Amino acid sequence: MLAYQEQYIRNTREIADLYHAYSRQYLSFDDFLSGRLYARTRIAALKSENTELLETHLFPALDDLFQATPEAIASLTEFAGCLMDWKVNLDIGVYVKIHDALLSLCRIRRDRNGTIRELYLLGMGLYYLQRIVEGTDEKYAGSFHFQNEMLFTEAGSYIRYYDEIDDETTRGYIIRALANVALTTKNHKRKISASAHALRIIRDAHYRQLAPSLPWDAFLRKTHQQMCANRAELSQGDLTTDELAAVLDSCYEVFRPEAKNSDPSVRWLWPYYEMEYNCGMVSLQLTLERLQLLINRTPVDSYDMSGLYGNVQLPIYYGHLMRANPRLQSEIKHLRFLDHAYRKMQEVLTTCPPDHFDDYFFFNISMVISEFFELPGLLSYREITTRLMQRIAGEQYVRFRKTGQLIACICEAIVDREPAFFDDIPFLAVLSDPAVKRQTLLTYAEDCGLYFDFGYIKMNIGRMMQTRNLFEEESRMLQLHTVSGHDDLLARESTQHFADIALGHHRAYNGTCGFPETYVRTNSPYRQMTETVTVAAAFETSRLPSARETLDVILKGEGRQYSPLVTMYLENDALLERIQSILDSDGAAFYREIYDSLNFESRT
Amino acid sequence: MQQEFAILDRNRQMVCHTPAYSPDGLTRETELSDGCVLSICGTPSLDAENEQLHRQLAEALAENASKEAFLSSMSHDIRTPMNAIVGLTELAKKHIDEKARVWDALEKIETASGHLLSLINDVLDMSRINSGRMQIVSEPFSLSDLLHDIMTIAVPQMVRKGHAHQLVLGDIPHETLRGDVLRLRQIYVNIISNAVKYTNEHGEIILTIDEQTEGDMCRLLFTCQDNGIGMTQDFLNRIFIPFERVNNAQVARIEGTGLGMSIVKKIIDAMNGEIDITSQPGQGTTVRISIPLPWEAESIQTSALDGQKLLILEADSTIRLRYAQIFEKTDIRCVMAKSAGEAVSLMTEAEFTQSPFSLLIIGRKLADNSTYSDAAAYFSKACPHLPIVLVSDARWEEIEYQARRCGISGFIPLPFFRKSLLNGLNHFMTEQHGPVQNTACPDLSGRRILLVEDNMINREIAKEILSVTGAGIDTAENGREAVETYTAAADGSYNLILMDIQMPVMDGYEATGRIRSSGKSDAASVPIYAMTANTFAEDIARARDAGMNGHISKPIDTVALMQLLRKLL
Repeated sequence: MLAYQEQYIRNTREIADLYHAYSRQYLSFDDFLSGRLYARTRIAALKSENTELLETHLFPALDDLFQATPEAIASLTEFAGCLMDWKVNLDIGVYVKIHDALLSLCRIRRDRNGTIRELYLLGMGLYYLQRIVEGTDEKYAGSFHFQNEMLFTEAGSYIRYYDEIDDETTRGYIIRALANVALTTKNHKRKISASAHALRIIRDAHYRQLAPSLPWDAFLRKTHQQMCANRAELSQGDLTTDELAAVLDSCYEVFRPEAKNSDPSVRWLWPYYEMEYNCGMVSLQLTLERLQLLINRTPVDSYDMSGLYGNVQLPIYYGHLMRANPRLQSEIKHLRFLDHAYRKMQEVLTTCPPDHFDDYFFFNISMVISEFFELPGLLSYREITTRLMQRIAGEQYVRFRKTGQLIACICEAIVDREPAFFDDIPFLAVLSDPAVKRQTLLTYAEDCGLYFDFGYIKMNIGRMMQTRNLFEEESRMLQLHTVSGHDDLLARESTQHFADIALGHHRAYNGTCGFPETYVRTNSPYRQMTETVTVAAAFETSRLPSARETLDVILKGEGRQYSPLVTMYLENDALLERIQSILDSDGAAFYREIYDSLNFESRT
Repeated sequence: MQQEFAILDRNRQMVCHTPAYSPDGLTRETELSDGCVLSICGTPSLDAENEQLHRQLAEALAENASKEAFLSSMSHDIRTPMNAIVGLTELAKKHIDEKARVWDALEKIETASGHLLSLINDVLDMSRINSGRMQIVSEPFSLSDLLHDIMTIAVPQMVRKGHAHQLVLGDIPHETLRGDVLRLRQIYVNIISNAVKYTNEHGEIILTIDEQTEGDMCRLLFTCQDNGIGMTQDFLNRIFIPFERVNNAQVARIEGTGLGMSIVKKIIDAMNGEIDITSQPGQGTTVRISIPLPWEAESIQTSALDGQKLLILEADSTIRLRYAQIFEKTDIRCVMAKSAGEAVSLMTEAEFTQSPFSLLIIGRKLADNSTYSDAAAYFSKACPHLPIVLVSDARWEEIEYQARRCGISGFIPLPFFRKSLLNGLNHFMTEQHGPVQNTACPDLSGRRILLVEDNMINREIAKEILSVTGAGIDTAENGREAVETYTAAADGSYNLILMDIQMPVMDGYEATGRIRSSGKSDAASVPIYAMTANTFAEDIARARDAGMNGHISKPIDTVALMQLLRKLL
């Protein structure tokens, strides 16, 4: 590898360590705070250095890829490999960028083996990169998934040249690409047909004989696992007999090796049980009992794949069953168990040591955010997401709490002069006592700071955003944080008041630009708050030295980017002074909240 | 012979009588409803005159009654939305600080204004028709274009109400007809709009177009069948009378002037056509319109397509069948795929069997629920030399920007017929791309490109690629040289500037800024494209801020560059 590549990897590892360092050290609060403030500055410097390394070395290298020597191409490939080892992914965006360029090169050179390899590797990179949009409505995220599916489809379509390809590794890429179509498509029928096709090829002696060095058994196991992932569809009634048989067969194949084990892994045991339930072979009651047993037997300090499966995914599934069977929601024993399982899940996710912060861990958190089933009186979505933000996205948590303060002080300045300004918001309009109403508004305003960018937090879980500036493709994906955050917040009672704010905070006041287009301010009773949040966020993200200068910029966008109904109240010296003092603060109070919530002192 | 007389009774009600002759045969008598006996004297010639006078009187009275009814209805129909506009404006002024109420009032004013406008348009049309000022023109038009226009208006209406819809095309031997295309569109859109309005949500509307040839004329047959609320026989008898609308609770909330069908009838009459309506309350309505129109001889050109292999990506089996029927009698080979996945597999095979496709047609519907833009974006990258044509019922003006960005360079409107498809594709291949074997090299003779690139090998490669287009190429090795070369040249010398970003002496951003602010007459308009592998979001934005129109990625991809040239030049 070249020096800049090694430096980039070192920097990126350091960023990852710094980002989560506070989780591993049980310090006094003062040590904790100074550590965080140092980390914040150091991360910014490393991020800037990384961006420069790419600009001065990687991009020129990709610019001149035609003339690149085989050694230079090999170093690029090695560099990419270090950035994404498919378990701990340091920088998927750069990995994708390199393989995208290499794919173009192979296509132009009509290098068939190279094209197949790069299609597969780029497909894998995109698969992980698209975790950013996981859980986002397919009508928005479908376009990214489609590109990914097509890469594997194209690589897999070379199966017709399998015999004439003389390289076993390339043959392996074709086989895996065929199976991986199932990973990328969201259509369960296509998933099943892709896995079935891959299984037919993998079982065919002809293909095996031509590439004896390939890990065929591993291919077979992985493909069965992919097929088994369709078990939820067994109860949907739209599968053909062949499709049903294929899924059942794979569930059995996945379970079979575990059945012989005295202590089978919950990861492979549960799919079998779930298959039995979805096929109507066992009752709901027995399934719930099995789930309870598996959740209870998973130790709370088990952070490996099995542990996270038992502690996170199974409680989520318990919630699914309660959502699907409303009568369970009034049965106290199930409510108690769900609350217990959810609290255990929260405990696991907020105490997991950083050594376990890998792709699977972040996937589990993302799953909680997307799938959590909220019921009155139990652990709320708001509580668990706040804890997760504190644990996994501490820096953003502090930033958003500061934004919340800014929103609240702007709101205060507005209602001082126009008390009914926010009366479109239904829960405020019904309050008759002015003092209560004012306090409710200010509390809500502060909380808006925490939740307006909720989608961004969810997408940022893999922490890639801190390692360098964003690429355009990543930026396009991240734009979906508005719709993603909106959908997640709206689906739970404890957070639904923040949904419109999350949706609309990047849309211009006059609707001419920004995103998403689906947000129409006049349709939202929360529009005044959304516009206040937009202004507060502009203060928070501004790189200008003073609030006064930021205000001048905001006023230039009055009526276009920013609501004149809000900006008219900003020309207020006392308000500007308060904004400036919030911006200047180091956020110690909010770091304290993180410190307290994670019980560092009690663990020391 | 018995004759009928129209006379007025005491109450000024017109009544018809058939009086019997008196025994002397000279007078005829009849008893009126009010008890009077009317005697009519006169000879048969006087009878005829009387008869004519009575008829004229009756017509004048009927017309008068119609005008009275018209004025009465109009004053009501105009006053109603006007009242809303005036009242709501006043209301909005009173509550100017209450944003929600003002907004609500404005929305209602918008609806009322729209209704009023359509009423005025209908009245003007009606007046033009009644005064004999309506001219039916006869000029050649494309039936395919007419149907595309109609569907772009009708489909969004149908989609909004969740109606399933289908356009069934019969055998259309003549695609170019002569007639008044604007009036035809008015007729069909009116009928379809009625079907949409009077069919409850999630209904079904089936449109059929067919032709019957009669010598040098053909009969254009249009049918619109819905499963809407339907009409009674009583109303059907009055449907063409102005201001007649079904009077029941179901339609009370549906906007309408009651003039549409009378206008449609009068236009159809003026075209010597026929309209037939059958309907059952609760069952739906079927409107059949038949209009005789002369057809024009037409020629089909396929010279640029003969012997070529086309890949068609379309999931709709009816449209696939149509393609097959059309290409069957030609020397063009077409391969069909239902999904993008299937298409990419076929393309891989074609590429590596040295039998590449000459054109990719992306249809309206893809089996894997992918969008045309996603599919086009993938194929234009995976197989950049392959031109892509979109066949769609969308309005090209509305989607052109996005479609071109995805790599689509041609458009054929749906529905298509034999001539419109083949001529459209042939025109695309000859005009846009030249003969197929040269699809990667547009003829840019007479155009001039300034290529700014510091890396000598990259510069030589780009020059090599560009030279085959016939364009004149000037080069510069850094930003400053580029600015000097550009400013020294006459205004309008360059049709395109390709600008590297990272260069010694002066980078691409600064050079672009200087070119844009050079004060030359084309400084603002000359397209400047960045050539860079740097796609940090901030840098793309910076390129835009610096005045660049876009970017192409490096390493330079021959065909992506050709696509850009085709698009720009």
